[in-house]
Amino acid sequence: MSATRRMLEITLGDMLWGRRAVFMAIAAGVPVLLAVVLRVALASGSATVVVNGSRLSTETMFGTAITLLYLRFIVPALGVYYGTSMIADEVEDKTITYLFVRPMRRGAIVLGKYLAYLVCVLAAVLPSAALVFFIMVPFANMGPLVDTFVRDLEQLAVGIAAYGALFVLAGVTFKRPLVGGLIFVFGWEPIASALPGYVGQLTVAHYLQAGTAGMLGLVLASAAAVLLAMRTIEHREYVLEQ
Amino acid sequence: MPIHDQGYRHYAGDRALHGRGWWVIARHGMVAPLRERRFLALLLFAWSPFAVHAVQLYLGATLVRSAFFVATEETFHTFLSQQRLFVFFITIYVGAGLIASDRQSNALQVYLSKPITRHDYIGGKLLTLAMFLAAVTWIPAMLLLLLQILFSGSLDFVLDHPRLVPAITLAATLQVVLAAVTMLALSSLSRSRRFAAMLYAGLVIFAGLLDTVLEGVTRNTAWMLISPQNTLLFIIRAIFDGPPDNVALLGSAVAALVALLIACVLILERRVRAVDVVA
Amino acid sequence: MIIATERLSKWYGQVSGLNDVTVSVPEGITGLLGPNGAGKSTFMKLVTGQLRPSTGTVRVFGEPIWGNPAQYHKLGFCPEQDAFYDHMTGREWLEALAELHGMNADTAHAAATRALEAVDLLDAGDRKIGGYSKGMRQRVKLAQAIAHDPALLILDEPLSGMDPLMRRRTIRLIKEWARAGKTVVVSSHILHEIEAMTSNILLMHNGRIVAEGDVHQIRALIDEHPHRVWIRAQDPHAVARLLLGGDDVSSVKFAEEGVIVETAKPDAFYTRLTALAASGEAGAIEEVTSPDDNLQAVFSYLVKQ
Repeated sequence: MSATRRMLEITLGDMLWGRRAVFMAIAAGVPVLLAVVLRVALASGSATVVVNGSRLSTETMFGTAITLLYLRFIVPALGVYYGTSMIADEVEDKTITYLFVRPMRRGAIVLGKYLAYLVCVLAAVLPSAALVFFIMVPFANMGPLVDTFVRDLEQLAVGIAAYGALFVLAGVTFKRPLVGGLIFVFGWEPIASALPGYVGQLTVAHYLQAGTAGMLGLVLASAAAVLLAMRTIEHREYVLEQ
Repeated sequence: MPIHDQGYRHYAGDRALHGRGWWVIARHGMVAPLRERRFLALLLFAWSPFAVHAVQLYLGATLVRSAFFVATEETFHTFLSQQRLFVFFITIYVGAGLIASDRQSNALQVYLSKPITRHDYIGGKLLTLAMFLAAVTWIPAMLLLLLQILFSGSLDFVLDHPRLVPAITLAATLQVVLAAVTMLALSSLSRSRRFAAMLYAGLVIFAGLLDTVLEGVTRNTAWMLISPQNTLLFIIRAIFDGPPDNVALLGSAVAALVALLIACVLILERRVRAVDVVA
Repeated sequence: MIIATERLSKWYGQVSGLNDVTVSVPEGITGLLGPNGAGKSTFMKLVTGQLRPSTGTVRVFGEPIWGNPAQYHKLGFCPEQDAFYDHMTGREWLEALAELHGMNADTAHAAATRALEAVDLLDAGDRKIGGYSKGMRQRVKLAQAIAHDPALLILDEPLSGMDPLMRRRTIRLIKEWARAGKTVVVSSHILHEIEAMTSNILLMHNGRIVAEGDVHQIRALIDEHPHRVWIRAQDPHAVARLLLGGDDVSSVKFAEEGVIVETAKPDAFYTRLTALAASGEAGAIEEVTSPDDNLQAVFSYLVKQ
């Protein structure tokens, strides 16, 4: 466990102070900026949103923002990028050698990096979503919406965990996992969601919106994916290109 | 003489004229992805809409006289719109590492120490990506048109739609040029092809989402100008359907894309250098 | 034995990287020699547990190394590739890697400082590795291998990219580590550098061990290549006439200022030569050298066979 903790600390520093932090900053900041612009525009009366003849409330707009911005793009994109880069970056940069010859199980590398990803991305996305909530929803209307807000945050947290776990497994298993990850998230998931029958269940997005049972299943699946990734890296050889 | 000299001989033949370096770079750049089975699978899959449309054209020309199967200009417009997903993935697969990988391995200095110019280098890299993108846009679209002619047994369709060929060519060229130049510029910004890929994904997808949200709230289509993808779609629609009611918006859209291309070219001019000047 | 392999083989798909290698590496410095593609790096990666043997076994300190991270405490590896976390300073990198060995922050800091000092990088320790020169990068790579004071050092081309002064210093450092009780396996294809460090070699070619042991003993065993001895004398003709009579001399030819003798029985020849020099029968014998009793000759003879 101490090896995992040390790996977590090293990766945290890399994620927070390296160039990769750019994506987290954009992912966290842009929705907040957008919320401010929208709120100002709506308050000034220069904009209204009308759907099916009725005005859309800011609360509904917040819900739309969570689904459209966060769950359809930000969370999957961060999961793909950071999840696949955890090990694949080290292999491509040939720095994995230094980690593999330390006296710790290889699985600790994966677990430490995954935990660092969870900490950083949760710390970026959840406060961002909270800020968007506080900006978009008038204070007087917040009370009844607290439960919905908390459920939305749970959805985001589970989504971050699930996408990260799926793509850390992909990163450990495949040589160029980023393109495959992007195809899955921006190609397969939107298409499968629109298809009938069981096809839609072959996506992470389906279970994120399937209520508590679905999310619980995702949490378990995420844990299983991370364990599988830890096991895979123990047994796999990484032949670095000369 | 009976015994020939086996010693080293200096090359005394012709050397290629200066200015052909771009073709050498492009040629070698195209060979590398074609060796990967994953990429070949992606290319093959990118032709699946072509197969579907080809069947549609066949049915429209032979068995079924339904309006759905009959070819129109919209058929080709729809096809090119559908291909933008594959344009996105191929751009990332091939384009993200085009310059980033060279920067990472310090190959840029090696390239620019040869008798080629920076423009040869950039041109070659651009051509590498553009060829693959053309292979999933312009080429299948023109092949569909050819199939339509073959299945219908006459040139009437082309003669009745004289602007179709230039429209397909212009639309496909815009798709290819925008994707290739943008990706190349982003690739030159980093030593990590993964980072460049995510920058491109952000520019295409995130900007598109923002546009959708802002347009929905403000009911002002001018917000599409923040999304290169949506701006391009608007222009392509104008190419196929004719100028929209809001001609000023079309002008702004064209100006926005031109500005983006100029910005990308400036980035490339600045980033593609043999040496980095450290103040 | 520190490292012991038994019928060790490794192949990458259809390509054989290492072929049926049975070898033991003792304490001290062992030079791993061979041309490019000989299998040196593959051997080192197998010994450091980065690759799994396709067949055979490899044991380090008596235990299998693949999937045995507890053994890595005793191991320090300096890989050939130029790969770093460029955004970190040298010190930060060394401390992070030292902490992965179980050291706390203070101990890791002290270890990093010692290692930086040993490789003469203390002044540059707080600069980003991305700004280091090639030689500095090589030295910081060496530093991370020694920071945790391992008993076994595996160094893959450690002198690559270093200037001549730093090379000499590093060779001296390696010899000091060996004197301090560490076992060092160092690979190179620059023969005179290996010769400067050790006479105990493992010579590889095409994934096989061609020869192992003391370079002079190996040389002595290469019977089909007679030893060449160059003798500078006052009267070369007299020396040649007297030496030709013995059955330990294969050939004699005259060279500038001396004679070159080829002998397949070096021990007997040197005994006779010593006696000849002592008797003064052939005049003064001023100098005797053997141009091919060295690693270069061994390497050439064995690899080109």
